[in-house]
Amino acid sequence: MIYLKDIRKSFNQQPVLKGINLKVGKGEVVAILGPSGSGKTTLLRCLNFLDKPDEGIVQVGDVQVKTKKATKREILSLRRQSAMVFQHYNLFAHKTVLENVMEGLIVTKKYKKTDAKRESELMLKKVGLEDKHHHYPSQLSGGQQQRVGIARALALNPQVILFDEPTSALDPELVGEVLSVIKTIAQEGITMVIVTHEMSFAREVSDRVLFMDGGVIVEEGSPLEIFNAPKEERTRQFLNRISRDIPIPYLEEKAN
Amino acid sequence: MTIDILFIWTAFKEILKALPTTLFLTILPLFAGFLIGLAVALIRIYKVKYLSGVANGYVSFFRGTPIIMHIMLIYFGLPLLIDQISAKFDWGFQSNSIPISLFVLTALSLSAGAYLSEIFRSGIISVSNGQMEAAYSIGMNTFQAMTRIVLPQAMAQSIPNFTNIFIGFLHTSSIAFIVSQKEITGAANIVASTNLKFLESFIAAGFIYWGLTIMAEGLSFFIEKKATAYNRGGLQ
Repeated sequence: MIYLKDIRKSFNQQPVLKGINLKVGKGEVVAILGPSGSGKTTLLRCLNFLDKPDEGIVQVGDVQVKTKKATKREILSLRRQSAMVFQHYNLFAHKTVLENVMEGLIVTKKYKKTDAKRESELMLKKVGLEDKHHHYPSQLSGGQQQRVGIARALALNPQVILFDEPTSALDPELVGEVLSVIKTIAQEGITMVIVTHEMSFAREVSDRVLFMDGGVIVEEGSPLEIFNAPKEERTRQFLNRISRDIPIPYLEEKAN
Repeated sequence: MTIDILFIWTAFKEILKALPTTLFLTILPLFAGFLIGLAVALIRIYKVKYLSGVANGYVSFFRGTPIIMHIMLIYFGLPLLIDQISAKFDWGFQSNSIPISLFVLTALSLSAGAYLSEIFRSGIISVSNGQMEAAYSIGMNTFQAMTRIVLPQAMAQSIPNFTNIFIGFLHTSSIAFIVSQKEITGAANIVASTNLKFLESFIAAGFIYWGLTIMAEGLSFFIEKKATAYNRGGLQ
């Protein structure tokens, strides 16, 4: 479903991705972990050319793009293989919730308005926002906005959905509603790549975990392998640091 | 000298007849300037090869010189140019067959284009990058993303600035009277000098401009409220 070969990307001569190779199978849910600045978001954005890789081959679905020879048309058809859920939601501010979800169906999938509306209503029901059709994004909470973002991505019925830290900008009490929506759609067999800092979520939802640091994939494996028995020192350090930041077991002990 | 209050009303009615000319000299250049401004703003934002240099020079010159200068340059310069070219190619075309208002309209349109391009540019830049990225992520091309997502928001946010420019150009159209266009100021001048009642005539003209400006502000406020409702947490 996804095939990356030797993806390299620099910003101002500062290498951010140093040769990423990756294959993701159909229906697989892949979580990408790593410290900030490790290139995980850039990798995700290279998948739909929001950041154009300097070198390498990107394939999503059956569209393959060789970075150096990429034409506008190729990039457009690559982008139409995937949909993205953004950290800061990026809902179309001047469109209502329903219009946000309909937009892609009408413009890029050439649906008739009534069909797009029916499909969008279905998607909004799925994310639990059937009562917010005519609200503008500015009238919604962060969690609700992000669920609209998910509905917008889902409506396109893409080959892959890319999640870029979908809960990082949310208030802690709103994280749960968004994660539970993502879990539901993960169970439907859609291929997903998720960049996240929610360790327990990554462990629960993903089939495979990638740990990135310094622009390379340091380690990959099943959630069980990565979280319980990381092989690489850097992975261990990272997981230790994270668990020290959120000492949940400690708190639980204390509460008991 | 005493002031003849009643004559203000007489002058008002007389000067008001020139209102269509003033509106014509305001709205037409702004309409042309709208198209020029949008094109120039996009050329500058996307740094289109060769054209962006021309666009930069255009904006710099027309914002860097007074509008009265543009009218003068075009009123005196353009006929010269047209006649030279016409003579060279033997077209038998005389520039004095062109109505003066066309020169004024050209000058005002070019000025409006320069000012409006900066308003468009700031409006477009103020729309967050994430909007464009979201549009790309659902498979839109640049044109679709621009026309459906970015420009509607940029326009809505630019309404107060458009109103400023409209008011500015409404008042600026008065300088067309130096090339003998009979718009409101021109008409006021004629009424004033034929009746030798200068103060009264210009007070009347002042009230007309003021009234027009208040109406424009009211309309702008109303449109802005409608157009940016999405940003105010209020329902449609």
